This record gives sequence, structure tokens and C-alpha cells, in this order.
Amino acid sequence: MIILKPYLKQNFAAIIGAIFSVAILAGSTLWQPRLLQTIMKAIIANNRSQVYQYGIQLIVLAIIGIIAGIASTFFSATVAQSVTTDLRAALYRKIQSFSFGNIEKFTAGSLVVRLINDMNQILNLVMTMLTQLLRIPILFIGAFILGILTIPRLWWIEILMIVLILSLSGIVFSRMGNLFGKFQKWLDKMNTVAKESMQGIRVIKSFNQEENETKKFATTANELKNLNLTIGYLFSLMIPLFMLISNFMILMSVYFIGEKIASHPSDLAAIASFISYLMQLMFAIIIGAMTMTMASRGMIALKRVKEVLDTNPDIKFSDTKEKKVASVNADIELANVSFAYPNAKELTLKKISCEINAGDFVGIVGSTGSGKTTLAQLIARLYDPQDGHVKIGGIDLKDIAEKDLRETVSFVLQKAILFSGTIEDNLKQGKHNATDDDMNWAIEVAQAKEFIDGYSDGLKHRIEERSANLSGGQKQRLSIARGIVGKPKILILDDSTSALDAKSEKKVQQALETQLKESTVIMIAEKISSVIKADKILVLDKGELVGTGTHHELLKTSLVYQEIYNAQLSKVGGQINERI
Amino acid sequence: MKEFKQSIGYFKHYLAPYWKGLLFIILLTVLSTWAQIQAPVYLGKAMTSLSKYLIAYMRPVTHATASLTDFHNALWMILWFYLLSVITMLISSLLTSRINALSTNKMQRGLFKKLQKMTIKYFDSHQDGKILSLFTSDLDNIFNAMNQAIFELISQIILYIGVIWMMFSLNVKLAIATVISTPFVILIAYFIIRKARYYIDNQQDEISKLNGYINEQINGEKIVITNGLQKKSIAEFNTLNEKVRKSTFKGQLYSGMLFPVMQGLSLLNLAIVIAYGSWLVVNGNIAEATGLGLVVTFVQYSQQYFQPITQITSMYSMLQLALTGAKRLSNVLKQPEEKVNALGKKLSKIEQGVKLSNVKFGYNENNEILHGINIDVKKGKMIALVGPTGSGKTTVMNLLNRFYDVSKGNVEFDGEDVRNFELHSLRKNVGIVLQDSILFSGTIADNIKFGLPSATDEQMIEAAKKANIHEYIESLPDKYETIVDDENSVLSVGQKQLLSIARTLLTDPSFLILDEATSNVDMVTEEKIKKAMDNVIAGRTSFVIAHRLKTIVEADEIVVLKDGLVIERGNHKQLLAAKGFYYNLYVNQMVFE
Repeated sequence: MIILKPYLKQNFAAIIGAIFSVAILAGSTLWQPRLLQTIMKAIIANNRSQVYQYGIQLIVLAIIGIIAGIASTFFSATVAQSVTTDLRAALYRKIQSFSFGNIEKFTAGSLVVRLINDMNQILNLVMTMLTQLLRIPILFIGAFILGILTIPRLWWIEILMIVLILSLSGIVFSRMGNLFGKFQKWLDKMNTVAKESMQGIRVIKSFNQEENETKKFATTANELKNLNLTIGYLFSLMIPLFMLISNFMILMSVYFIGEKIASHPSDLAAIASFISYLMQLMFAIIIGAMTMTMASRGMIALKRVKEVLDTNPDIKFSDTKEKKVASVNADIELANVSFAYPNAKELTLKKISCEINAGDFVGIVGSTGSGKTTLAQLIARLYDPQDGHVKIGGIDLKDIAEKDLRETVSFVLQKAILFSGTIEDNLKQGKHNATDDDMNWAIEVAQAKEFIDGYSDGLKHRIEERSANLSGGQKQRLSIARGIVGKPKILILDDSTSALDAKSEKKVQQALETQLKESTVIMIAEKISSVIKADKILVLDKGELVGTGTHHELLKTSLVYQEIYNAQLSKVGGQINERI
Repeated sequence: MKEFKQSIGYFKHYLAPYWKGLLFIILLTVLSTWAQIQAPVYLGKAMTSLSKYLIAYMRPVTHATASLTDFHNALWMILWFYLLSVITMLISSLLTSRINALSTNKMQRGLFKKLQKMTIKYFDSHQDGKILSLFTSDLDNIFNAMNQAIFELISQIILYIGVIWMMFSLNVKLAIATVISTPFVILIAYFIIRKARYYIDNQQDEISKLNGYINEQINGEKIVITNGLQKKSIAEFNTLNEKVRKSTFKGQLYSGMLFPVMQGLSLLNLAIVIAYGSWLVVNGNIAEATGLGLVVTFVQYSQQYFQPITQITSMYSMLQLALTGAKRLSNVLKQPEEKVNALGKKLSKIEQGVKLSNVKFGYNENNEILHGINIDVKKGKMIALVGPTGSGKTTVMNLLNRFYDVSKGNVEFDGEDVRNFELHSLRKNVGIVLQDSILFSGTIADNIKFGLPSATDEQMIEAAKKANIHEYIESLPDKYETIVDDENSVLSVGQKQLLSIARTLLTDPSFLILDEATSNVDMVTEEKIKKAMDNVIAGRTSFVIAHRLKTIVEADEIVVLKDGLVIERGNHKQLLAAKGFYYNLYVNQMVFE
């Protein structure tokens, strides 16, 4: 709740308005039975002018109620939308300050859920908080006091009813909350079975498993049915029980008033209003219990949002405005670098030291899990090493401003992710002020020109969501183009050409060589053939740097390199590798 | 109207079996409503008798004879009516819950069963998300409506009619005063609901735009970070978020307004009834004692009268969603099913081979994809199908086990057209390893045994060994009982592939279709997959859709497809020597993206 405080403060006036109008609304609800009683008295007393007067008062009261109701919705909606919009924005800003490590800890999926579903819950929470949380206590206390004032000697009926209704709703709603949780779980399960069978329909049909799948689904659906029955029965019991209690209370009130009517003749006019207060009391408790169940869901959402807001980005950039790296020679130096992922038991990189000269073409090879990607990510400061330094041009990465570093080091990820929008939009992510010339140059180097020229709208061609209208190869080419459009001093390609055929891959490499002569290109490769021409190849094995040198040097000196090379050679078609 | 009929038809279909129960529910509801509307009459009578008693008691003449007997009698009547209404209500809502749970369960299972029987074409032409929304949205809406609206609607209508009838039989003038505002109230409610719907739709639109943006940005957050795009991302987010702010306000305002306004109108109506009733009494139209009772009675009726109006207006959108859902579901139930050809020949084993002769096919009539394909596979031979994306390789696979049927020409197994076989016997003989290995939530054992649930553990392990995945499974803490699902990443892409090979191996099909995966796996896994594939191909008639060199080289025949036509065929050596399309592909090292 505390995290909402600053956002609520901003809407101070609207909150006051909401509280005020809710109070009036509750007051008008409470006053109505009281007026009814006065009218009854006036009828009994046969006082015509009073009847008119109170009749009009009653109508006015109802109108005030409507206005207050609309006003309370208005103010609550104002506060709710403002608070959730601002909180969502704060959450989003926070996430944008996160590093790779933060994102991986939460997972992208969970962050999306927090931004969307949890914020929805919070919207509902704020809305109910403002419209109900205040109304219920006012109604409860008001109805209680006014009821007692109406017929003081029947106070015990009110107490009795409160006890009965409270304990009944306590039992029912706590059980209900539990059941609803379970119900949701099974519903999700059922939907998962349905989803998987849609996705795997070819597998199901080719294995003739339609009937088994139907049975599997029926098992889940039946589990859901049983829960549904329990919940349904509980509800079926609950509502008549509430009715039974309230009916008995009414009957008891009327009976006890009637028995003593001779000594309290004025009570005759009070019966109707006393009954009304009993009803109001009952509904206040029931609605209150329901609101609490709902609010608890909102509280969980709030907790999940708070968890994100309380997380500090684990990489903080130096906030100097000075462009340090821009002016220096971009030699890279890793000194004694060790790194472990959070919660990992073992080091992913162990004491790595190496130097990469500006303008070189460097390959990183090694088997899966050897730490290739991690090493490259440290150079781009996507993670900080636990030990040792990474320096560019002799400057520790920790002393370089983020913008400066990003402009110097461009990292093309293994998984080519593009955003919906035009090709141009995506390219400009690499350099926000890229000219048409820049972009044309980049797509030519990345071998993307051919297919882009095939579109009548060229660079303005739209990429659909999830890049559904592009093939894997096309995505990678565009992703490379985005990486080079800013002509970075250091370009890191993390297995970024895996979906390209050998010919295109070679063309990309050649173009990089001639067009980005000045840049350092670091290429992580699965196939040795991709880096055979590199100025330097780094060989990683289980997080250790086990070899450095050119292809020919390594063939002589590094056992690990030889193994990888031979494995790739021995594959059928390996001779092709040689030819390239 | 026709659509409405269709929706009602859907409900009719699923509720018809419970007609006796439903009839009983309606009967009970009528009884309960009757009791509910009788109670206020006797409450009024109690008041009247009490008031008479008081007058009698006050007058010295009648003081001694004043008695509360009438009052007590009225109270007894109230008690009976209360009890009657509560008991009938209890029974009818228990019954309602039961019928709800059972019928929605049947709807869910009915839909799933139907989907299992439908053609692949349906799944290919509808997005998974859309089909899934039949469960998550349409069935859910029906479920909610069944639980909260449909039976409620019946009882509210009965209550409404009952209250009107009672009011008019008691006092016409007061009854008119109570109902006179109704058209006006309904108009206001209609206006608010329409506005609310419009703005909520608006709000949903804006929110889904924002959600789409959030989804894309957060899932691509690594790109945002590596390119330093955080500020730009926040700026765009803010624009969308502001739009949500504006639309949320109106959506919340109008939808939130309905309840207080209806409540207020009910109160206003009550005030009018009381004011008018009092006026009638004071002006001497009705005797004071009777009048007092009448006013009390009408206070209750006025509230009971308003309840259905408020309820039905708030149920309106729920009911509409349910009707739309029912329409969609009944459309699905009308879709054509796969022709199982139950009386067709049973294919027990492939003895001679598989043949495609002059096969023409298109997914829709105007767009032919295969323009007359001839392929002949003799028993025990392996055919590799290669060609660039869109050449029709996958389409050929779709025809072999009748995911689709040819438009012209034949697909023959042992000289018999596939359409003449009983479908399940055909598919039993055709094993498929798909390009993307689809696994189901459950244990590894469940997944391997998927095609043959009756398999023993020994058979399962045997298959896993042949598929080169046994060792890895044994290295897991839960071994074969390890749970796999979408979220946890126990298995890499390559391992999933091995598992799906094991799954096919276990069913021991005589004919095999293998769609090689294109995704990159590391060297070791690739080697394993290769061996597993060799194991699964060995001794079977097979059809491999190849994306990599090594599979092709060993094929008995390579068929090169391009734009729906066979452009080259022969074995590896012959095709290389021909220096044609295949040669070029080969030199460029495959991968046809």
C-alpha cells in the first residue's frame, strides 16, 4: 500500500472529493429510513403539511443520492486512472533501467505480466478502495447507530444479526477464496491442455491419439466440474442462509415491537425503518466481505509490482557527459576477468586475460557452454565481471557513460529480434539520426538489399508483430544491418549469421572487411569455417581461455581447437568447409 | 434474429437433457417468488392489525377486548412464507448449480472432442490463439452467464411479473405510481450501458495497444539495452500510456456509474411511492390503519420491483457475450470433420511402397502449389526431398498421411489410393517426425509413450537408447519422471528433437516421414541427432524433407522440388555431376532460408 502513497498524494483534491461524495452517498442511504419513520409518524398524526414536507424531503434526498453517486464514481475514476497510469509509467521506467541480469532474474514474461495483469488488478483495487472501502464502514456504523436510535430496546437483535452474518460470511468467504484459487488453477490447466492439443494437432493425429487426448481433457474438465459443483453448492447454501437470517431478524423485530406496542406506541411508525437498518447492516457486511476477497487479489498484485520497483539495476553507468571512448583508439583489454551468473554455483568465465587490437577481426570459438557469449557480453558491459577489468582504449568500462559505450560497441544478438514498424524504424534503432545513405549502406553490407529492393515500399516496408512476415535469414540480415548502421568502433556478432547460407555469410564477411575496415569485429562462431580468416581466434573451453592465435597457429598449438576442427571436418560435407 | 436462433439452439442442445430438472427449477422459482411477494402483504397486514390494536387499546371502551391475535396470525403467515421461499430457493439453486456444472462440463468436452475430429485444414487456417479463445473467452463467457445470469434472468422475470400482479391487485393507484417511471429508468440505464460499452471498448482498444507495445518491448529488452534505446522506449510508452489514461477514465466513469444511478433511481422511486402513498392516506382516500400497512407493503414492493430492472440491466452485457460465444461455438460444431472412412481397407503393413502419381494440390482452389508431382518410393528405400522455402516440400508430407487430400492425381500405398484406407490404420503405419518438436506437458515417459501408451518401460528405454537420449534422461534427478512443459527448460531444442524421434521409434511405423529441423544445435547434439535419425530410418521406407547435407547424401533418391514441380532427381553423385540446381544448393551448403 505504501508504494501507492506518492501517487495518491498527487490526487489529493480528487480523493477528498471522492471521500466527500461517498460520505454523502452513504449518508443519504442511511437517512432515508429515518425520513420514512417521520413520514409514518406524520401519517399516524394525520399531519398533512408535514407529510408533504417530508415527502418532498425524501425525493430531494434521493436526488442528492444520485448526484453523490455519480460524483463519487467521477472522483474515484479520476484517482484510479491517474494512480495506475503513473504507477505503470514508474514501473516501466524502472524496467528500462534494468540490466541483462535484472531482466533474466525476473524473466521478460513475468515483467510483462506485472505491467499488464497486475496493473489491472491495481486499477480495480484503487477503484473499490475509493468507492467501497469508505462506504462500507460508514454504512455499517451508521446503520448500527441509527437502528439503535430508532428502537433502543431492540439493540440485541442488531448484535445478534451482526454476529450471525459475520460468522457465516467469514466461513463462506474464506472457503470461497480457497476454492476460487483452486478453480483458477484447474481452469488454467484445462486451457493448457487445450492449447497444447491445438499446437500439437499434427502429432496427435499422426499418432492416432485423438481419443486419448479427449480423455485427458475430460479428466481435467471433470476436476473442474467437481470444484464447480462445490462452489455452486456453497453459493446455493449461502444466499438462502443469508435470507433466512435476515427474515428471522425482521420477524423477531416485528414480534417484539408488537408485544410491547402498548407501552411504546410510537414504535409503530418505526418498524419499517428499523427493518431497513437491519437490511443495510446485513448488506454492508456481505459487500464488505466480498470487497475484502477482491482487495486481497489487488494486494498480491501490488506486492509483485513493489518487488520490481524495489529492485536496483545491477549495472550503474558513470554519468559523465564527456565522450571518453570516442576519442581514443579502441583496443580492448581483459585483465584477469572472472564471471559467474547470479545464483550459479560455478564460474562461467575463469581468469581470462587477453588483448584485442583495434581494427582486428577476432573469432571466438568453443563448444556450447564454454562461455563465448558471456565473454562478448562483458565487452559490451551487459554484465559486470566479479573479478578483473574490462578496458577499452585503456579506460575501464565502469568509467564510461552508457550512451558513449553503446555508440562505440554494437552487439548483434544471437536471436534476431525486430520490432513491429517499418524496416527504417528498426534500422534507426542502431543510429537514431541515420540518413538514407547510412541505411542503404548498412543493408548492402548485411546482404539485405536484395530482398528489401523486392518490396515496392523499400525501407518503408512494414515488419509485422513477431516479424511474422520475415524468414529467419531475413531477420538476421536486418539485425546485422541495425548493428552496423552506426559504424561502431567495435562490432560484436554473436553467432548472428547462423541462419544465412554459406554464400551469403561469406558475402557479409567480405563486406564487413572492406566497408568496416576501421572497426574491430568480434565474431562468435559455431563453425570454424566462419572465422578461418580471423586475425585472432580465441578458443574457450569450460570458461577458460585455452588458445589464442590465427587458424594456422592454433592448428599447431591448441588441442581443443584441433578437436573442434576435426569434428567439423569429419562431418559429411566437411570438405565444403575447406573449400570456403 | 437468425444468429439469435443459432445461439439459443446451442443452449437448447446442451440443456435439453435436463428438461425435467429445468422444469422443476421453474416450478420452484414460481413458488419461491410467490412466497416472496406474499410476505410483504402479511407484513402490511401485521402493521395494520397492530395499528388497529393500538387504537382499540387506547380507547377505554375497547381497551379490554383489544387483542393481538390478528397480529400473531399475520406473523405466523409471514414465517411460513419466509420458510417456503427460503426452502424452495435452496432446492432450486442447488439444482441450478448442478445443471450448470454438468452442462458447462459437457460443453467443454464437446468442444474439445469436436476439435480433435476436425481437419488439419481448419487448424491451418485459424490461428491457435483464435481457437484457444473458444475455451478461454467464449466458453468462459457462457460459464459466467450460466452461473450468474441465465437462471437469474428467469427468476427475476418471474419476480417482476409477480410483483406487478400483486401490486395491482392490492392498490391500483399505488401500483401505477410504482411502475410509471419504468420506461424512463430503462431509458437511462440503456443510455449509460451504451456509453459504458462504447468507452470500455475504447479503453480495451487502447489497453491492448499498450499491452502489445509492452509485450514487444520487454521481450526485446535486450535489443533495447544493447542499442541504448531506453529513453526512446519510455517516450513511446508514455504516449500510449497517456491514451490509456484518458480512455480508462471514461470507461470507468460510465461503467461505474450504472450501479449508483440505478440505486439512486430505486430510492427516488421509493420516495415517490411513499410520498404519494402518504398523500393518499392523509387525503382520506384510504383508512389510516390500512394505509399504514399499504405504505409498508409498497415500500417493500417498490424495492422488489426495482431489483429485476437493476439486475437485468447489469446482466445485459454478460448475456450478450454468452450469446455471441454460443454462436461461435455452434459454428465450430458445424465444421466438417475428418473422413475416417471406417469401413475402408485396413492397412496392416506396407509391402511394396508408396507412390505419388501426377499429384496436384492447392490449399485453396485458386492457388495450386503442387503442379503434378510423381514420386515412387520402393519398400525400404529412402527418398530425400529438397528445395527452397515455398517449393512444396511440406505440402507433400501433408498429403502422405492425409492431413490434406490431393486435388488431382493419387497418393498410393501398395498400389491402393490412400483415400480407400481406414484413416487410423493408415496413420498407424505412417510415422512423422516434425520439424519443430512438439512435446506435451507431462513427464518424459508420457511423451515418449505418447503414440503407444500401452508400451512397457523396457520398450520406452529401448526407444530412448536408439534415439540417443537415454543417457541424458538418466542424468536428470527424476529420470524418466522428469516433468517437461513450456516454461521449464530441462530440454534443449536438440534434445526435444531426440525425444520426438524416440516417440516415433516406439510406435515402429513401417513408413516414415521426417521433416528435418533447421534450428541450430551444437556439434555434439547434431551428431546425436544424426545417429538417431539413422536408427529410425534403418529398415523403413522413408521420406526425408532435408535441410542439411548429410541426410541427403545417403538417400537412395533425391527429389529436388522448386515452385511445385520436380526439377531434378537422382542420387547425390548423379545430381552433382549434372551441375544443376542441386549442385548450386550443395555448394552453398544448404539451409534454405
